[in-house]
Amino acid sequence: MGETNYLVVGSSHAALEAVHAIRMIDAKGSVALVTRDAHLPYSPTVLPYVVSGRSKPERVALRDEAYFKTMNVDFVRGATLVGIDAKNRTARFEGQPARKFDKLLLATGAQPIIPPIKGLDKVPFHVLRSLDDALGLRKAMGQAKRAVVLGAGLIGMHAAENLVEAGLAIGIVEMQGQVLPGYFDAKASGLIEKAFAAHKVTLKLGRKAQEIKSGAVVLDDGSELPFDLLLVSTGVKPELGYLEGSGVATERGILVDARMNTNVEGIFAAGDVAQAKLFQAEGTGVAGILPAAVEQGRIAGMAMAGDRALKPYPGHVSLNTYTFFGQQAISVGAGVAGPVPAGAETIERADAAKNAYLRLALKDNRLLGAVGINVSLDPGILWQLILRKVDLAPVMDRFQADPLAVGRVLMSRLWR
Amino acid sequence: MTVQTKPNKVIVCEGNEAAARGVALARPDVVSVYPITPQSSLVEALSQMIADGELDAELINAEGEHSVLSSLQGACLAGARTYTATSAQGLAFMFEPYIRAPGLRLPMVLGIVTRDVLSPQCVWGGHQDAMLVRECGWIQMYCETVQEILDTNIMAYKVAEHPEVMLPVNVCHDGNYLSFGIARCELPEQGLVDDFLGPKSINWHVALDPERPMAVDPLTGGSNNPGPAMFVRYRMGQTESMGRALRVISEVHTDWGKRTGRHHAPLIEEYRMEGAQVALVTIGSMTGAAKDAVDAARDSGQAVGLVKVKTYRPFPAQAMTKALANVKAVGVVDRSVSFAWNGGPVYQDTLTALALAGQRLPIQSMIGGLAGADITQEHFERAIARVFGLAKGEGSTETHWMNEKD
Amino acid sequence: MGKAFDSIVFHGKNCDGCGDCVTACVKAKGGSDALSSRIKILPDGAGGFELALCRQCGEAKCVMNCPSGALTKNGDSGVIDWADDKCVNCLLCTVGCAYGGITYEAQIGHVIKCDQCGGQPACVAACPHDALAFSTIAGIYNSYGDKEDMFAPGLSACQGCNSELLIRHTMRRIGPNAVVAAPPGCIPGMGTVGYNGKTGAKVPIFHPLLTNTSSMLAGIRRYYERQGRDVTVVALAGDGGTVDVGFQALSGAAERGEHILYICVDNEGYMNTGMQSSGSTNYGSWTSTTPVGPSLKGKRSDGKNLPMVMMMHNCAYVATASLSHMEDYYAKLDQALETSKNGFAYVHVYAPCPSGWRFHSSKTIDICRLGVETNFIPLWEFTPKGGLRFTLPTENPRPITDYLKAIGKYRHLEPAQIEHIQHLADERLSLLSKFVRDTGARPAAE
Ligand SMILES: Cc1cc2nc3c(=O)[nH]c(=O)nc-3n(C[C@H](O)[C@H](O)[C@H](O)COP(=O)(O)OP(=O)(O)OC[C@H]3O[C@@H](n4cnc5c(N)ncnc54)[C@H](O)[C@@H]3O)c2cc1C
Repeated sequence: MGETNYLVVGSSHAALEAVHAIRMIDAKGSVALVTRDAHLPYSPTVLPYVVSGRSKPERVALRDEAYFKTMNVDFVRGATLVGIDAKNRTARFEGQPARKFDKLLLATGAQPIIPPIKGLDKVPFHVLRSLDDALGLRKAMGQAKRAVVLGAGLIGMHAAENLVEAGLAIGIVEMQGQVLPGYFDAKASGLIEKAFAAHKVTLKLGRKAQEIKSGAVVLDDGSELPFDLLLVSTGVKPELGYLEGSGVATERGILVDARMNTNVEGIFAAGDVAQAKLFQAEGTGVAGILPAAVEQGRIAGMAMAGDRALKPYPGHVSLNTYTFFGQQAISVGAGVAGPVPAGAETIERADAAKNAYLRLALKDNRLLGAVGINVSLDPGILWQLILRKVDLAPVMDRFQADPLAVGRVLMSRLWR
Repeated sequence: MTVQTKPNKVIVCEGNEAAARGVALARPDVVSVYPITPQSSLVEALSQMIADGELDAELINAEGEHSVLSSLQGACLAGARTYTATSAQGLAFMFEPYIRAPGLRLPMVLGIVTRDVLSPQCVWGGHQDAMLVRECGWIQMYCETVQEILDTNIMAYKVAEHPEVMLPVNVCHDGNYLSFGIARCELPEQGLVDDFLGPKSINWHVALDPERPMAVDPLTGGSNNPGPAMFVRYRMGQTESMGRALRVISEVHTDWGKRTGRHHAPLIEEYRMEGAQVALVTIGSMTGAAKDAVDAARDSGQAVGLVKVKTYRPFPAQAMTKALANVKAVGVVDRSVSFAWNGGPVYQDTLTALALAGQRLPIQSMIGGLAGADITQEHFERAIARVFGLAKGEGSTETHWMNEKD
Repeated sequence: MGKAFDSIVFHGKNCDGCGDCVTACVKAKGGSDALSSRIKILPDGAGGFELALCRQCGEAKCVMNCPSGALTKNGDSGVIDWADDKCVNCLLCTVGCAYGGITYEAQIGHVIKCDQCGGQPACVAACPHDALAFSTIAGIYNSYGDKEDMFAPGLSACQGCNSELLIRHTMRRIGPNAVVAAPPGCIPGMGTVGYNGKTGAKVPIFHPLLTNTSSMLAGIRRYYERQGRDVTVVALAGDGGTVDVGFQALSGAAERGEHILYICVDNEGYMNTGMQSSGSTNYGSWTSTTPVGPSLKGKRSDGKNLPMVMMMHNCAYVATASLSHMEDYYAKLDQALETSKNGFAYVHVYAPCPSGWRFHSSKTIDICRLGVETNFIPLWEFTPKGGLRFTLPTENPRPITDYLKAIGKYRHLEPAQIEHIQHLADERLSLLSKFVRDTGARPAAE
């Protein structure tokens, strides 16, 4: 049985940042990075671009073997975590001997949700989470003519665009009344929908797939969408299979505190697998986005190595950037997608000629959130304004008029 | 052992030049100079020797005595054999670095061409300068003749650098009488001196050398452990070395005598003390005239002897009490004043030594030769008469000022 | 040891928003309008300007957020490199950046960021107001960061003391083949020479007397030269032992051209013994022997300007320095070190003292900088051949009150006293400027 001071499972953003943070403090302790993937570390976020061909699969690695060598990290691929014995501090793997650990980080991310649609188990379909998924989809795309995408979340929308560019006829089925619900309000989504419609994508919004027949999706209104390629992108759920009997507490994801520690001391979780504090709402949630995985992974690594510079996780702020057909969409914070929170005000501006739209949500002179389509914004600055609860009262008029420039001024000043 | 084989080279020179030649034979590495009467011709002679290539030494023309001694202390800490000389006000100005040399255990040689100190303003001989610094921890040897100046300067290095001593040495010779007095002087061969002094080992114990990094003179003392004990250890070490110096000085003089045939008394010289009823105690160049007076008195049947102090610090108390064991009265002639109780410093030390030895006898302080005043044979004859009087219980032991009426 | 990097520095107070930097950037990067500039100057709404520019962060969030490996921190230049052929335009980097340093520009079609123009940033060169500077101070760290610190950790200097900073830098630069004289004062007071048998230094170090630093060093150096050894002898002395009681020895050694590197750390007084006035104490200063009361209002005479006095000794090298300008100091230290092999090198470092001058310990370097920027402490260097030259611009100084107001020992000053000090600074500068005019024109080399 192997023994490791720091055992990190997963090889994506959360895991990699944790390893980096550990090595910042502890140059000597043994570190192992174990993943079930067969490839060098890569980001799921890059997969749509692998599908489209923009990113060559051999060039998407986030780290190479040399990195692990320099950092003295034992990088193990092709080993799937299948069980944890918290008492004996042991992790069991498929295809690898078990390992004892002092500290364990679970950064196993998420897996696609396969919805219980009648007939889905009878037809071949695609998902997009791993590099192998992307390569499979890319191959299938070359031989297909018509595709149906189930779910208009980020993954589905990205993939749909890839498929459009590859010359396929596309239908998108989304249960909710708009694309990308959760990140954008109906007006913003409308602009995105418009772009997809312009590319002849059939958008079935507010519709459910009732049944999958071979070659067609039957919707709840009885209509059918034919396909020879089916992509299921109806959401993701944390990868938790190995936790049975471990005593590690979960709800939707693995419950962690502000240091990414689970209920078991010394076992940490971060990224898409973790259910952590929310910044703009009570309670906890699974963030499911890359910047959160980076942040949580870094904090977990610092906590594991005992870095005294650790600042507890402030909580997740909803964030995303989305580019579609050469246009940009940005969503930061709360109050911009769903209903407007009590006491908040929203400011909206649209410029139809430029296909531009801006919506700001403010409360008590603090920024709550912002959404922009084809509007220049610095999402990183807006995120900081929210996190730092920067008082905008002295600059409110100017901020509303030009959030980009005023945001930059504020951060430049805070920085100095 | 190299001994003098060839006949000595003989020169005729003043005391300052003899000092310079003695020093040059000891091959100092660094010489630092600043002029002052009556020392000036000494450092001029050294500077000239360096200019002429006769002496291979670094010459520092410092801007004052304070820097003179300071630069030499630096050089010494780096491993150099050093030399300078001064007088009176120069010594006073040098006082600050002067007082730390013994504590640093620097084996330096510093000539004092003795002179009285201000005020009144004066530039003439007297021992006041050297005597003022007698409690600073330097070894002090006083010379009687030009030859003794040369020889003692060489011997001084051997004493100072002796591993059991490691203390700085003052070679004192009287301003005017010795500094400018011209006499016959034998010059030993360089090889003999080299062999006598042996290889240099200046900073074996304290050094400022990147090859042996150490802190020199960290703050030491205070009331917290280990400060007090450490400070005491340093001070005791100094006094113990002073004690050992008495033996080393004697050994060095014996060695020098064997090699050169010139035997100078190392601590004290007993002159015609056999059967003496009374004695004079003298120091420095006055001894010549005093010896003449003793000779004359002996010729006329008076049993008087003389004890000359060569080594004044450390004070050779034992030798002194032994020499004076059988006399009935003593007159101690000083060329300086102690303001403690109206007497001379040599007198005080002699008195203390005798008292400690339980030798109770009349003893009088006689002060003469201040600021260049003559102490002639007649002065000493009168002094001898006084001491005989004391032996008979006549006259007072109040301090006698020899030149009071000159 | 890691590596430190050069960086673009923004002095916002100097910026008038002229936009020359933006134009230069656009030109250098081949863009068409201001939007394609990597540097953005933004009015702050109150007459001033702020900056949005890539900070080339050490732990760069843009790099961490990049899913495609398109952003990397360049190990040589420290620049965050962006690889066009790897970028997928996902904009997640812009989520990471809190400074608007990497931005998507629609007309260009991808994110853009500053690359420091390969070490010669066009914006800095174009800035006419010293609002932008390219700091290469990292070079000091890269050159000397892994050299041994010649002092033990845990010296007991006061909080915020810049003498400790100075001596650590200085001796790290000079290295172990040296002998250090630390005359009584703050420097040995903080434990460099040690206590009761223990030392605070890894080089030979000693307490000279307050009065004889230069002469002792002269003796040491003379002997080593005689032995054929090139041992650097260094004074790390305070102003008391330099300007006052050690001056005679200093002057003598300078006159003789002893091969000494003499560094005077001037905190304008006897700070180690309780903040008494020295010859270097500036006019009007409160000290414990020039107190403030109904009859006295601080020091009544001007401080002695020793570096100018040393210049008149025609020393092989004389310079003034301040730790707010480390590169300047290092350049001078290099020269002084070299010169001290054959002559007397004197470096006068102004060392504001939080304990004795009454300012917060976090402000030391700010005070250093204010001293320079008000021309109270002009930075210059002198060699007999090259004459006098200012090593930092002296034009457009800040008013002397910026300096005085920041320091507690001047708190009591009356307007007339302030005027006196301003006058003093002006006069000093004008005298120095005359020297610059009359001597600085000498050819630098024969
Ligand atoms: C197509 C797509 C597009 C996306 N686009 C965006 C976007 O635009 N913006 C954004 O913010 N986010 C986006 N995301 C989400 C983002 O990629 C994730 O939030 C992020 O990758 C989470 O990182 P993680 O390290 O927590 O987990 P993951 O990236 O999911 O990595 C999990 C790792 O764990 C390994 N693993 C899993 N189970 C085991 C096991 N049992 N044993 C061993 N190893 C295991 C996996 O092989 C993998 O290496 C996208 C995701 C996808 C799939």
